[in-house]
Amino acid sequence: MSLHRRLVLCIDDEVVGLQVRKIILERAGYTVLTAPDGPSGLEIFAEQPIEAVVLDYSMPGMDGGQVAAAMRTQKPTVPILLLSAYVALSPEITRNVDLYMTKGEGAPILLEKLNGLLTGASN
Amino acid sequence: MNLSQLNRILLQTLLIPVVALLFVAGVLALQIRKAEVTVAHMQAVGDNISTATQVGQYIVNEENAIRGFQLTGDSVFLQPYNTTQTPLGRDLARLRKGLALQGGDPRMLDDLVFAHDTWHIAFAEPIIQATRNGTDTRDTGLNLRAKAQMDHIIQLIARIIYVQQTQRAEAARTWRRQVNQTLEILIALALLIGLAIGISARNRLHQVSDAFQKTLEAVRNNAQLTYESEQRLRTMLTSIGEGIIVCDRHGKVEILNTVAEQLTGWTLANAINEPIDSIFHLVNEHTRETLESPAASFPQLPLTPKTHDGDLFGSHPILISRDGSEIPIEESEAPITDREGKLAGVVIVFRDISEQRRAQTTLLATEKLAVAGRLAATLAHEIHNPLDSVSNLLYLLQNNPSPEENAQFLDLASKELARVSQISRAMLGMYRESKEPVAVDVQEMLESILLLLDVQMRHAQLTLHTEFAPGATFTGYPAELRQVFINLLTNAAEASQAGSTITIRTEIIVERRRFPRAESRPAGVVVTITDTGEGIPAETLPRLFQPFFTTKGEQGTGLGLWVSQGIVQKNGGTITLTSRTDPDNHGTTATVFLPHGTAVPT
Repeated sequence: MSLHRRLVLCIDDEVVGLQVRKIILERAGYTVLTAPDGPSGLEIFAEQPIEAVVLDYSMPGMDGGQVAAAMRTQKPTVPILLLSAYVALSPEITRNVDLYMTKGEGAPILLEKLNGLLTGASN
Repeated sequence: MNLSQLNRILLQTLLIPVVALLFVAGVLALQIRKAEVTVAHMQAVGDNISTATQVGQYIVNEENAIRGFQLTGDSVFLQPYNTTQTPLGRDLARLRKGLALQGGDPRMLDDLVFAHDTWHIAFAEPIIQATRNGTDTRDTGLNLRAKAQMDHIIQLIARIIYVQQTQRAEAARTWRRQVNQTLEILIALALLIGLAIGISARNRLHQVSDAFQKTLEAVRNNAQLTYESEQRLRTMLTSIGEGIIVCDRHGKVEILNTVAEQLTGWTLANAINEPIDSIFHLVNEHTRETLESPAASFPQLPLTPKTHDGDLFGSHPILISRDGSEIPIEESEAPITDREGKLAGVVIVFRDISEQRRAQTTLLATEKLAVAGRLAATLAHEIHNPLDSVSNLLYLLQNNPSPEENAQFLDLASKELARVSQISRAMLGMYRESKEPVAVDVQEMLESILLLLDVQMRHAQLTLHTEFAPGATFTGYPAELRQVFINLLTNAAEASQAGSTITIRTEIIVERRRFPRAESRPAGVVVTITDTGEGIPAETLPRLFQPFFTTKGEQGTGLGLWVSQGIVQKNGGTITLTSRTDPDNHGTTATVFLPHGTAVPT
């Protein structure tokens, strides 16, 4: 199965982290749009045909959980992958996302999981 | 029985015999007087008898004289007749008086005198005359009449004498009776009085003896009560959980209870009468100087009871026990005064606070952990994010990047790692404490803290506004002070609404006059942290520095400000909070003053 340039939205308030993540996803063949916070991310999500979202949890203002909830009301079929620097998140938060992982697990794992989400969705 | 009663009894016991004796003497005197009268009477009567006998004798002499003259005609024989007249008259008079005194019948004497006079006139004189004349006087009739008269006279005299004798016998009988009476009275009185004295003395003695018994018993009871009371006190002293030492006005140990024995290492037997300083050796925890002895101000009354209890951060006195072990204690001393208000001794109460200190140390440690807990979110964020980026960059570097990319990726990675280092150092900076006070640059310290709080501030959408006076330094212990400022800043952040600003300002102080408790202070630094939250109501404000007081419900541990105050004080400084709750002017300002060079050494 080919990914043929799936459109992925990355949202993270960490500038460097976002930038590096974008490079990795692009190297892996994705087209990446980025946003530094929840509101601007939701705007892009509404306007663009986003196929997957890679979302950071801890952000100032609107956190990842709130963003995911908002996304679910708009386009519930779009898979969301939640990234967190924290070790444990409550089920209230995680039920709005398809997958949740911690930062620091490494790029290969991230790519694998994202691939899994997208192939699952396309099936 | 009291003393006056006893005295009365003694007096009575003494007086009764005396009075009795006096009484007896009186009675005796009376009886003797009566007997005397009787004897006097007897004597008077006896005198009368003699006188009467004498009178009789004179009259007989007279008669004899007459007879003699009658027979012989010689006037020599008449001499006795003549010479007896005067004594006879005298005796007759005496007899009359004597008889009158005895209350005797004077008629008998009158009869006698009459008879005698009759004899004189009727017979004696005529016979004398006749004989002188030479007439014959042997007229029987005359002589017979003369003799008869004389017999009559003699009879009269005899009767007088007889009466007197009877009287005398009577008097003698009376006297004997009186003597017997006296004896009887004496014996009766003796018996009665003896009995009375005996009985009364016995009663009195019993009274005294009873009273004495009661007194003895009372004394014994008192002794018993005192003993019991003393035992109770001893038990109390032994059971009390605190050490108690009592010393007398010369500073010598009198009482040492069980706990005091254990803590000082001296037994009461060894410690008694020793000077207090050798038993109770206290030093200052930090300076190791020996603390002033409780007996230092003797014999002056120490002015006030003293207490050495230190506090969480201050120093406690250390008791050096006999074997050299050191025990931190809390102690207090109070003077004991006697009834006149003079110093009678000192009582020292003290207890081992090692447990307490351990608990306090644990509390402090807990608080420090709490601080770490508040920063857990920061840590996770500030460490995981950069490391995640570094990990991603390494992945990219492993996948044949171009040289420019190579350089770029390495640069990014090292920057992210530097971030991690900074955070890590800032975090550890809270725990690695210096042994001595050091000079601390306030700006450096605060900036490092702000690093730790950056995430929190951003997430709460707060703006930090800083005004740092350059070169502001103080002397102290930076690690613990970091915790203080983290506490204050997180408090401010939690109180603030999203979008508001927290201001941090530092100022160098040259001459302190600014604080409400304006004392003259050395130079130092003032750090103020101001938020624009709701503010703290006036009634809550003073309680904020109490341990375990919190306005944050279950979420606050409440240790924060109490511990913060202690740390600031340990550094020689002060911390105050001011707050406003007006709707259009609200917020809180925490003001911390840190001086140069007056931190308490640990």
